Amino acid sequence: MAEAATTTRRHLLPRDVRLVVHQVRYEQLAFWLNRVGAIFTVVFSVLFLVMLGASAGQSRVPALGNIKLIVYYVPGFVAYGIMSACFTTLAINLVVRRETGQLKRLRLSPLPARVLLVAIFVSTAIVSLVQVVLLLIIGRFGYSVHLPVSWAAFALVLLVGIVSFSAMGVAISTVIPNQETAGPVTSIIFFVLLFLAGLWFPLGKHSGLAKFSNYFPVLHFIKAIDAPFKFQPGVSPWAWHDILIIALWGAGSVLVALRKFKWSPRRS
Amino acid sequence: MTRNEGLKLSTISVSNLRKTYKNVDAVDDVSFEVERGEVFALLGPNGAGKTTCIEILEGFLHRDGGDVQVLGVDPGQRGQQQWLRTRIGVVLQELAVESFFTVRQVLERNAGFYPAPRPIDEVIALVGLAEKADAKVKKLSGGQQRRLDIGLGIIGRPELLFLDEPTTGLDPGARRTTWELIRTLSGEGTTVLLSSHYMDEVEALAKRVAVLRRGQVVATGPPASLGGRDRGEVAIRFILPAGIAASDLPVTPTSVDASVVEINTNDEVVVLNEITNWALQRKVTLTGLDVTRKTLEDVYLALTHEEFDDAKGAANG
Repeated sequence: MAEAATTTRRHLLPRDVRLVVHQVRYEQLAFWLNRVGAIFTVVFSVLFLVMLGASAGQSRVPALGNIKLIVYYVPGFVAYGIMSACFTTLAINLVVRRETGQLKRLRLSPLPARVLLVAIFVSTAIVSLVQVVLLLIIGRFGYSVHLPVSWAAFALVLLVGIVSFSAMGVAISTVIPNQETAGPVTSIIFFVLLFLAGLWFPLGKHSGLAKFSNYFPVLHFIKAIDAPFKFQPGVSPWAWHDILIIALWGAGSVLVALRKFKWSPRRS
Repeated sequence: MTRNEGLKLSTISVSNLRKTYKNVDAVDDVSFEVERGEVFALLGPNGAGKTTCIEILEGFLHRDGGDVQVLGVDPGQRGQQQWLRTRIGVVLQELAVESFFTVRQVLERNAGFYPAPRPIDEVIALVGLAEKADAKVKKLSGGQQRRLDIGLGIIGRPELLFLDEPTTGLDPGARRTTWELIRTLSGEGTTVLLSSHYMDEVEALAKRVAVLRRGQVVATGPPASLGGRDRGEVAIRFILPAGIAASDLPVTPTSVDASVVEINTNDEVVVLNEITNWALQRKVTLTGLDVTRKTLEDVYLALTHEEFDDAKGAANG
C-alpha cells in the first residue's frame, strides 16, 4: 500500500483525485461512525498518556538523564498512536472488510483499486495526525512537556512511520484468516512488542530485552520519535539508523502485501 | 479496442468456458447465451460452478479456457475491466455493506463511483426503502438489507445486473418483494443474470435457465420446458374402487400401492379417456382422481441427483 501511495501519485488523473477525495470522506465517516475503532485508537492513546502522566509521570528516570517520565511518555504515545492506527486498526479494518465481502464488492465497482488503496492510506494518515496533534497539545498544556525541537526531523519520522506501519498493517492482514481472530492477533503482537520496546518502562540500553527488541520496528520507532524532542543531551534529532530500520520493515511489508493481498473472503 | 456493441444481440456469450481449481474442473465446457433484456438463471446446487461462472463474467476471476463476451468485451482483459465495471451491477451472495452507514450514506458513497448515477431518491423509492433512508444499515431487516444491496447494484444504471443467489436466507415475504423488485428492473430493460438453487425462484423470474451440475450444463431452455417437462410424463392417480382388482382396469397400472393406483404416461388424454369411459360404464367412482405433471423440482432433482446426494455430506461450497 505504501508503494501504491508513492507510485500512483505520478499517474493520478483529475478524476482519480476527485475519487480519492470522495472515498477519503467516506473512509473517515466509516472510521468515526464505527466507534470501536475510534475508541481503540484515538481514545486509548490519549487516555494512556493522561493516566500515566497523572500517576508515574512526575518521577524521574536516571537512565535518561534524570528527565521526568512524562517527557518520555509524550513521544512514546505519539509512536503508540501512529502504530495503533496504522498497524492494528488498519489490519483489523482490512480483514473485516475482506471477510464480509466489502473489498470484493468495491473491487467490482468502477472505483479503481489504486484509488481505494490511496484513500485508505490517506484516511489512516489523517487518523494518525489527529492523534499526534491531540497528544502534543495534552503534553504541552497538561504536563508542560516541550514540543519537538526539530520539526523537520519530526515530520520525516511521522511520514516514514505512517507509510511503513501502514504497509505492515496490510501485510499482517493478509495472513489473518478471519475477522474473529483479527483483533486478538494484532493486539497480542502489538502489545508484546510495545512492552518489549519499553513504552511503559524505559529499557536499559544493554538489557537483553533491548537487544531482542532491536530486531523489531517498534523500539526503533519510539526512539526515532523521541529524537526530535531532543531531551537527551548529545542525541541528534535525526535518528537515521532507526528510521532506516523502520523503512526496511516497511519495504519488506510492501513486498508481502503485493504478493499476498486478497480481495475476496478466505473461506470461499 | 473493438466493442461490437449493437452488432450482437447477446449481452453475454459464453462458449466452452473452463476453470480448474487444484486439478478439479469447477467449470467444465460451459456454453450459454444471454439475450439483451432477458432474465437468465444459472440453477444448480452448491458447488455446481454458478458463482465461479459469474465471477469470470464479472472479470473477477481468470478463466482457464473458452471464450467469454460481456457487453461486447472480454472481461478477462484488464484493459476492458474499468469500462465494463461502469456498465454492470453486482450483487454478491453475502450482504457486503458497511453496517454503521445509513442507507442514504452508503448509496451516496457508491453513486460517486459512476459517471452518471441514478438519483439517490429514485433508487431508494425503487427498492422500497423510503421510510428507512436515514436508518443505519444494521437496523434493517434481512429483506430490507437485500433490497439495499440490489439498490447498490443498480445505482450506476447498469445494462447488466449480476444477482448471485439474491434470496438465499430470506423469509417467504422478503423473497416475494425481492422478486417483485427484480421483475421491475427487468421491465425497465436491464438484463439480469441470476444464480439460484431454488426451483420456484427460477420458475418465477427467469425466461431461460441453464442447469449446472459439477461444472457442466446438463439442461438449458425455458423453465417450463426443462427436462421435457412440457411434454414429459404425467402421473394419473386414483384409489382402486372397492371390489375391483387391478387386473380389471382397462389400462395396466404402473404401480398399485396401498390401493393407490398410479399410471405414468406420455399420452394422458387417451389414457384418461379410457379410464373415465370405463368408470362411467361400470358406474364406479374414481375417488381422489389426480393428474400431475412432473414439477420443476422433480426435474431438477433428477438432473442434479448425484450432486444432491454428495452435497448432503459435504460442506457449503
